[in-house]
Parts: sequence; structure tokens; C-alpha cells
Amino acid sequence: MKVTGKKFSPGLDRFSGLYLWGLFIVLFSFMAPRTFPTMNTVHLLASTEAIAAVVALALLVPMVTGQFDLSIGAIANFSGILAVIVQTNGLLDPVGAIFLGTAVGTVIGMLNGLIVVKLKIDSFIATLAMGSILEAFLVIVTNNREPLPIDNEFFTGLTQTSIFGFQMVFFYMIIIALIVWWLLERTPAGRYMRATGFDREAARLSGVQVDKWSFLSLTISGTICGFAGVLFVSLTGPSLGFGPSLLLPAFAAVFLGSTQLVPGRHNVWGTVLAIFVLATGVQGLQLVSGAQWVASMFNGVALIAAVGLAVVRRKKLSRPKKEKSRGKSEGSGSVLASTQTHGTQGSPSAHHAGQVSEKRVEV
Amino acid sequence: MTAPTAVMPPAISIAHVSKTFGPRTVLHPLELNLVPGEIHALLGQNGSGKSTLIKVLGGYHAPDPGRGEVLIAGKPLDFGSTKSAHELGLRIVHQDLGLVAESTVLDNLAIGAGFPTRFGTIRRSQARREAAQALAAVGLDVSPAKLVAELSAAQRTGVAVARALSGHGGKVTVLILDEPTATLPAREVAHLHEMVKTAASQGVAILYVTHHLDEVFRLADRVSVLRDGHIVLTRDVVDAPREDIIHALVGGAVEPVRREITDVPSGNSRPVLTVSGLLGDALEGVDFEVRPGEIVGIYGLTGSGRESLLGTIFGAREREGGDVRVDGAQLAGRPASAIKKGVAYLAPDRKRGGGLMEMTACENLTLPAMKKFFRGGHLRIRTELTESSQWMDRLAVRPAGAVKAPLASFSGGNQQKILIGKWMRISPRVMLLDEPTQGVDVGAKAQLHRYIMDASDAGAAVVISSTDAEEIATVCDRVLIIRSGVITEQLTGSDISVAELDRRVLRSNESKVETS
Repeated sequence: MKVTGKKFSPGLDRFSGLYLWGLFIVLFSFMAPRTFPTMNTVHLLASTEAIAAVVALALLVPMVTGQFDLSIGAIANFSGILAVIVQTNGLLDPVGAIFLGTAVGTVIGMLNGLIVVKLKIDSFIATLAMGSILEAFLVIVTNNREPLPIDNEFFTGLTQTSIFGFQMVFFYMIIIALIVWWLLERTPAGRYMRATGFDREAARLSGVQVDKWSFLSLTISGTICGFAGVLFVSLTGPSLGFGPSLLLPAFAAVFLGSTQLVPGRHNVWGTVLAIFVLATGVQGLQLVSGAQWVASMFNGVALIAAVGLAVVRRKKLSRPKKEKSRGKSEGSGSVLASTQTHGTQGSPSAHHAGQVSEKRVEV
Repeated sequence: MTAPTAVMPPAISIAHVSKTFGPRTVLHPLELNLVPGEIHALLGQNGSGKSTLIKVLGGYHAPDPGRGEVLIAGKPLDFGSTKSAHELGLRIVHQDLGLVAESTVLDNLAIGAGFPTRFGTIRRSQARREAAQALAAVGLDVSPAKLVAELSAAQRTGVAVARALSGHGGKVTVLILDEPTATLPAREVAHLHEMVKTAASQGVAILYVTHHLDEVFRLADRVSVLRDGHIVLTRDVVDAPREDIIHALVGGAVEPVRREITDVPSGNSRPVLTVSGLLGDALEGVDFEVRPGEIVGIYGLTGSGRESLLGTIFGAREREGGDVRVDGAQLAGRPASAIKKGVAYLAPDRKRGGGLMEMTACENLTLPAMKKFFRGGHLRIRTELTESSQWMDRLAVRPAGAVKAPLASFSGGNQQKILIGKWMRISPRVMLLDEPTQGVDVGAKAQLHRYIMDASDAGAAVVISSTDAEEIATVCDRVLIIRSGVITEQLTGSDISVAELDRRVLRSNESKVETS
């Protein structure tokens, strides 16, 4: 009971991201009262960060399963550029291009999965290498020349159409977040992935097909990244170097997210929250200082802080937790002793044992 | 080995020490004295306050402020300081030993003491000499150049003890051993006891924490029992009958669980589990059959194949040959397919492969069979929680109702109940239980045995592999003795007793004595 009771005392722990967000908003509203606290800022953040959030959600799936995916940015970049090229060359219509980009991402994700599962290469190495290979392919297909932007209203409208001032891309992000949430929290697949991520061997011995879920998690990450790449070129036009800039914020968000809302678990809403908290910080600092290096600095510091926070938290929790669990088991110990002495009929199982006890001799 | 007289100044003297966490008192003011050279057994169920006491002595916890005092060789311990405890000559060997398996004995000994150096360069020859001395001090005959991973479990514990006793931190007066035999094969316990006695004979007072009553009688001079934070008994072992100790431990008599001898299922029913010619890690062709409702024990020395047999049947370990059938259908040798055929496997170590410590009790309980909760496109989490709490009630898991608490937050016995429940929940045809009550207190052990019998009554074929002869003798209808990777003997009915089991194992192994 104490353990469940603990959940009702959120304190600064689970919601620290929300408090930080609030602090940023108040702080920057004072420092840049004319530019920061406007609906413009809200709309801008919502649409520019939507793609970062989608990529972070893609990363979240393999991270839950205990696999790194360092190729997320490269997949998005390659798929996005490919979706542009097939249109400028007149090979495919916009709808076909959207599907192609997503499918290419899926195939790359499957390749990642096969390398990790079949060749037994650590996902960190495998996806790092895949990122580099994709960079090479990007140069091969583009000749290192930035493709021309797509002049097609359907394709640009895909993300840029506004609803209540928010661009469509923001709603795609919400929908993808809902799907990933459903997958991770509301399907057996999600539970199997989480079990695989927490303890591969224990999951395997419980009948979880750990290789299958590792493979699928990387595939799903590829699919979402491929789609994110398409969204990116639709929103801001093709660029050869947008991929790498998505990698770090995604990791920062996933790690920071794992300290939020459901501490100790990588989770969807924590990740989304983290993306926007970080983005608000970056945006505010940029408005106040006008410096160009703010985003890189901020995301780097945030990643170290997030992982550091998670480590400290685990240490802190594991100590008093041990005391607490000890404390609990102290109580349980005496309860146990008393059930032992005062009649075993108290527990249904013992009762069950009693019913069949004619077969047993109670010495 | 007579009990040292009380005339000598105590090596450690604990007085009025109490500890409260929040509203709960874990240790009531307690007193305990150990004289030099004494081996003092400390017994207590999980949650009796043993670990808290050790942590107070080791300086990890400060006790409640007040009159509490701990004197080590007459000098007061500075509470809450591990440094002070170390300086006064108090050493603790924890259950996990803290050895680096991939390093040599020599390096492991030096991790504690520090390498002897000259101008920053390690002096190998002197280090070797010091290591040899440290090992001799506990009567352990292993080469310092050996890797710790190559040692037997008892030898590893010996190295940890040697490390605790050696070193440059000054003379050691008190050594606390925290459940050193919890994971030790029965055969190796005697070896450890010899080492402990050797250490004690050099004037070190030893506080020996254990779950095993037998050890008290074989090893200790005096015994204390901790229950609910009180020391309820302290006596010379010669004056402490077994029943008194048990009574003190549980605050009443434990009603023993016992499988009736005449209860062996008839030989006519068809076997559920058929193992033939099984090859694998340390297995050289194992054949046996188990019928529904039967409880079969696997007993053998460490290295005989006992540790790997059940895991190999289930597919947790690699099978190199042979055939396993459940109801006539072949098992592929992968856990997932074994579970589909109704085979359950309780891993020997709940922290490594047994349970998902970070996941909740509920998630652990339902993991092998959760598809039924997936209805209409999403998991019916409330149904899942309800069913899980019913199981936790049925298994009398404490704290009650904590379905959403992570598995790691439960005590060992309760974790084990949850993990047994996880497998009972799938109504298995075959239950393979590897060390089902390892590191579990007396009360929880009896409950776990009852659940195993419940499963057997429901028609499961149960196989138990255990280092605990008493457990095998209490629960099993039939015991298979395994030696050098093959089943050599079978015991049934009244032949099954602890003495007989140990006799068979030792006799059958006369030709091939384990390194000890």
C-alpha cells in the first residue's frame, strides 16, 4: 500500500519538466515581453518542433526495447530527399512520394533490425554505421547538390495547412504520439518490448520473442523516421543537412522524458513534454540573446543533465527504496509470521491446500 | 570449540541501539555482545531487522539518537561512518561478495588492500606473498593466479573472507558474514565452515547471519534470534534445542508441509514429460519421465549437471542433443515454444533471468499469457490488475494490494511467490522449478511448497532441482540422483530423507570428489 501511496506524492520529481516549462515561460516573458509571450511563438514552436518530436517518438520505440537507434536523423534525411527527387524527376506523384519515403525508412529500419538480431552486432554500432552509410547514399543520389524545392500545393499543404493557427504537422505529431502510446502502453507488443528492454534474458525466459521485438522496434523507428523526413521536406523544403540536427534533441527528449510523468520508464508523453520544454528554452534564449549557438549548446547540456538526472534519481531511489522495501518487508515479515501461526485458512491458497489435504500428512 | 568465557573483553558490544524509519520501528533497543574468537549465529526471517542491524554496524545507517552505543574492542563506533567502522576493525562480507570474476584471486585481494608498490610500480612478488598469507589465514588452498570465475562458490566466499581479514587497515576484530551460504551448494558448505573456524581461531569475533538452522549447530558457539526488531533469544548453542530456535524465529511453531509417501501417482498414467538422451552443458545423456501429478526432485553435486538440467529442458540453455517431449509432442528448445506447450520454468536466480525487477508485480504475473487481456484493440488494464491482485491475494503476497509496485520493491520471499504465481497462472502441464525457495525465509518457504503441491494436485508434472536436501525430501515423491551428467539412481517412498540423499550423492561421488 505504501508503494501505491508513493505515487500520490508527485512533488518536484515527476512533474519537474512542467515546472521548468512554467519557469521558462515566465522568465522569458519578462525578458522579452514583446516577442516571447505571443501566439506567434506558440504556433512557431508547435510546428517547428513537431518533426523533432516525431523523430524522438521514433527513437522512443527502440529505446523502450533496449536498442539504440543512432540512424534516426540520417533515415529522415535520406527518405525526405528521396521523396523530393522522385517528384522533381517526375517519377512519382506526391502521394507516391510520401509512400516511397516512408517505405524507404521502413526498409532501412528492417536492415538495422536484421544487422542487430541476425549478425548480433550491438545496435549502437550498427545504427551508427548505418547513419554513415546513409550519408554516403545521400551524396550518391543528389550528387551533393541540394534538390530544388517542390512546387506542389498538395505536397506543401500536407504540413503547412493551418488549423486554428497551428500547421497540420503539429496534428500529425499528436496522432503519431497517440499511436506510439497505444502501441507501447495498450498492446501486448508494447509490454513485450518493454520487458525486452528492461531485462532481455528474463523476458526471453518468460516466452517473449526478444529478437522479433528488437527487430520490429528498429523497423518501426525506421518507418516513423521515413515519414518524418517526408514531413520535413514538405514543411521547410529539401536540405542536405537536416538529419544530424534531429539526432541530439531526440536523445535529449527521450532521456529527459524518462524522468518525467512515469519516472524510470521511457514514455510517450514525457518525451513530447521534454521536446517542448527544451524548445521553449532554446526559443526564449534565442529571442533574448540573438545568438546562433544557443540550440546546440542547450540541447547538449540538456542531454547530459537529463541522463545525469536519471542516474542520480536511480541512485537516490535505490537507496531509500531499499530502506523502504526493507521497511515494508519488516511489516510483511510480521504479517507473514502471524498468518503462519494464526490459522492458514486466511489465505485462499492455503484454503485450497486444505481442501485437498486428505492427500497430505501434516506432520 | 568451547564457547569462550565472558571474562574476555567483548570484541563488539552493542547496547540500546534502535532504528526507526518514519513511523516504523525496525530495530527496538537491543543488546548483543561478542567475545573474540566467538562464532555467533544471527537468525531472523526476511524483514526481522537483520539487514538494518548490519547496516548500522557497518556505518551505512545511523541508529536513532539516544543512548545507543556500539563498542568495538572497547572503542566507540562513530555512527553513520563506514570509515570509522573500518578503522575499528569491523569487516562485512556481503552476500554478493563484491569480487571481480574476470580478475585473478591476487588482484581481487589487492582491490581491498591496495597493491604494494615501489615508485608507483606494482611489486608483483610481494603482492603474491601477501596474497598467499591472506589465503592461508582462512585455510584456503588456491593459487593466487587463478581467475575468480574458475573457483567454486565456497572458494569465492573464502577469497572474500580472506580479503576482508587481510589488508592494511589495521587488525580485524569483528567479521560479519551476511548469509554466506545462501547461494552455496550443500557440498561446499562444510568447506566454508572450515574457513570460518580458521578465521575465528585467530581471535576474530564472527557474526554469522544465516537462514539455515543446520549451520547454527554445525558452526556456531552462540546463537541469537531476531524477530520484528527484537532479539528474542540469545544462548549458547549447546543449550538451544532446535524447536526453541524455530519457535523464537516465527513466534510460534511452523506447521511443516509434508508430501505423503503413499501419494505417489500410479505408474499406469502416461508420462507428460519425457526426456531422453539429453545433451547440453554438463549433461551427458539424461533420461527420465514424469507423470501428471508427480513431484520429482533432481539432486546432485554442483557440476553434476543439476544446475543446467531444467534450463536445458526448457530451452533457457542450449540443448546439444536428445529429445524432450510433452504429451508426446517434441519441444523445439526455445522458451517461447516450450511455454506454448504448457511448460513453465522458474529460473534459479530471480534477479538474473527470473523476474523483471523494474516492472510491476502485475506486469510480471501476466507476461507469459497476456493476450487474453487484449480485447477490442487495446489492453484491458483494469481486468489485468484485478486478476493480478486476485493472484497476489491467493499467494498471500505482502504488502497486499501492491500490484503496481515494481518487483524489486518486494522482499525475496514475496518476489518468489509472484514468480511462482506467474507460472501457476498459465495452468502448466509441466513445471520446472530451479531452486524454487532460494534465499527465502522459513515461513515463505512453507507457503511456496504448498503452492507447488497445489499445482501438482491440479495435474501438473513438477520437477524440482534444488541444493536444499530438506526441500527435496519434504516435497518430492521421487528423487533422481544426477552424477557426471547422467541420472544414476532413483529414490522413492520411504527411502527419501535428507541423510539418505546426502549419503547417495557423496557415495556415488567417491571416485570424483569436487575440488575443495
